[in-house]
Amino acid sequence: MAKNRAQIVYSPKQKAIRAVLWVLLAIVAFLVIFPVLYIVFGSFKENQELLVGGSDIFPQKWIIQNYIDAWNQANFAVYTKNSLFLSIGVMLISLVVASMAGYVFSRKTFPGKEIIYGIFTAFMFINVGSVSLRPLYELATKVKLNTSLWPVVLFSAGGGQATYIFLCRGYVNSVPRELDEAGRIDGCGFFGIYARIVLPMLKPVMATIAILSFRQGWNDYILPRVFTMTNDSLRPLTVGVNMLKNAGDGAAAWNIMFAGATIAIIPILVVFICFSRYFMGGLTAGAVKG
Amino acid sequence: MASGLMLAPSIIFLAVCSIYPFIWIFRYVLYNYDGIPAHTRFTGMRNITNMFADATFWGSVGTTFEYALWKLLFIIPLALLMAVLLNQKLRGSGFFRGVFFMPTVISSSISGMIFTFIFATGNGILNGILQSVGIVNAPVGWLTDTSVVMASVIIMSVWAGFGNYMLYFVTGMTSISEDVYESSRIDGANAVQTFFKITLPMLSPVLKVVLMLAITGAFKDYEAIMVLTNGGPGTRTNVMFLYIYNLIFGTGSNATRQIGYGALLSLMAAVIVGAVTIIYNLVAKKLDDVV
Repeated sequence: MAKNRAQIVYSPKQKAIRAVLWVLLAIVAFLVIFPVLYIVFGSFKENQELLVGGSDIFPQKWIIQNYIDAWNQANFAVYTKNSLFLSIGVMLISLVVASMAGYVFSRKTFPGKEIIYGIFTAFMFINVGSVSLRPLYELATKVKLNTSLWPVVLFSAGGGQATYIFLCRGYVNSVPRELDEAGRIDGCGFFGIYARIVLPMLKPVMATIAILSFRQGWNDYILPRVFTMTNDSLRPLTVGVNMLKNAGDGAAAWNIMFAGATIAIIPILVVFICFSRYFMGGLTAGAVKG
Repeated sequence: MASGLMLAPSIIFLAVCSIYPFIWIFRYVLYNYDGIPAHTRFTGMRNITNMFADATFWGSVGTTFEYALWKLLFIIPLALLMAVLLNQKLRGSGFFRGVFFMPTVISSSISGMIFTFIFATGNGILNGILQSVGIVNAPVGWLTDTSVVMASVIIMSVWAGFGNYMLYFVTGMTSISEDVYESSRIDGANAVQTFFKITLPMLSPVLKVVLMLAITGAFKDYEAIMVLTNGGPGTRTNVMFLYIYNLIFGTGSNATRQIGYGALLSLMAAVIVGAVTIIYNLVAKKLDDVV
């Protein structure tokens, strides 16, 4: 019946109201998009123009020198490489860890399962803030891992895994057990059933987790900030561009910071535009199942 | 056997990233610790008595409540209104939905940064626009004037977050049957009546979850505020998790770092958030019984 909605004929008064509502949506959309446009267009302005200010969001003269400077002098090539390493690392680890754990939680019964599951849930709600990064930082220093980005990758993946495990478990629950049975008859073990039968069926939820965990790694700020406090060459974009702001020569480097912020948001916005379905689907799926 | 190995990575992560830090916090609650192990001293109840006398901390708790209240007051109605408009299936609804959701995929540190530029007093574009159309004569100190800085922070956090809640509302509304709207139309209900008599009541389970997420979320915000104002000017926007962050990871020397004390305040903050959540749940339940 809902399908008929498209054929509803609106009276002139209704049409007018709908036009007003549309304008309202458009105004809010403009306000939402404006800050992003401002930063992107601003990154093509000359620093002189940025320092004067004004109300024009388009550059008087378009230049790409800011990007060249950011890339070559301000270390943004390294920051970008680190951001990619971080986000891809978090994504791959999350996919492997969550799909295996979700599969085991869904298919296996073992003593203490409910308790372990309960602890996972409990720690989703216990939030003590940044203090928990302190012991992790000291741990990484102790095992001499603090000279690489690996602890950031591992701790980020470890901190975010619960949601992904819940997503996977819910999805594996919906995979018919008859398929496991068929696999077993064909000689697959417990892991074989996971690798050959369940995993291929998990594609939609794996896509969601890939997207969400990539975003998590790309956008992480406090965690990499704490871990790279004394090591500029390990900083991802989020930290690198903000350190520029704190560096004191803040006002002088507006053009570099505009270019840097743009480099930090464009990749994730492109991913969002291409896969918005998974971003938005993942949010609500997590809420229902988590 | 295989299942144990497959579960092992997640269990190790849970133990290292969640359980270990939690226990570690309790280890230091009664200690003076500045990051150098040799300096660690047991100080008995001093951290606790300090906490109750710490006006800056309780001030930051007050600021957190103020921030959360203002944020909720704007973000929930805006998210709900936009969801209702999107539900009218106007042309371009999918596009608008994507635009509203977009800020949520941007790192909070970068949103904080973008708004630092927008709100800059001298060369920020907001003052530029306001002055060029003549709304203000002199530049407004969006980030330096104690009377408006909270508004700036709220604007940023509403911008960054309302898309999330909008999406929950949109999803909730699609599950309301078309027939219900059909019959209300036949009964001659207007748009406002339809919203208050049908949409809102049928949305109330979703609304309760969203409110819960929004409340706990607002109390935990500090990353973007750190970038935008770092709690300033003075302590005007110093929310509690930001105050705690600076105690533990502050850029100052080791002497100003108070990790043991920060651990205690973190627990206190967690208790405060927990208490607010519980009170909210009780109120939500009461409302359920009344309506």
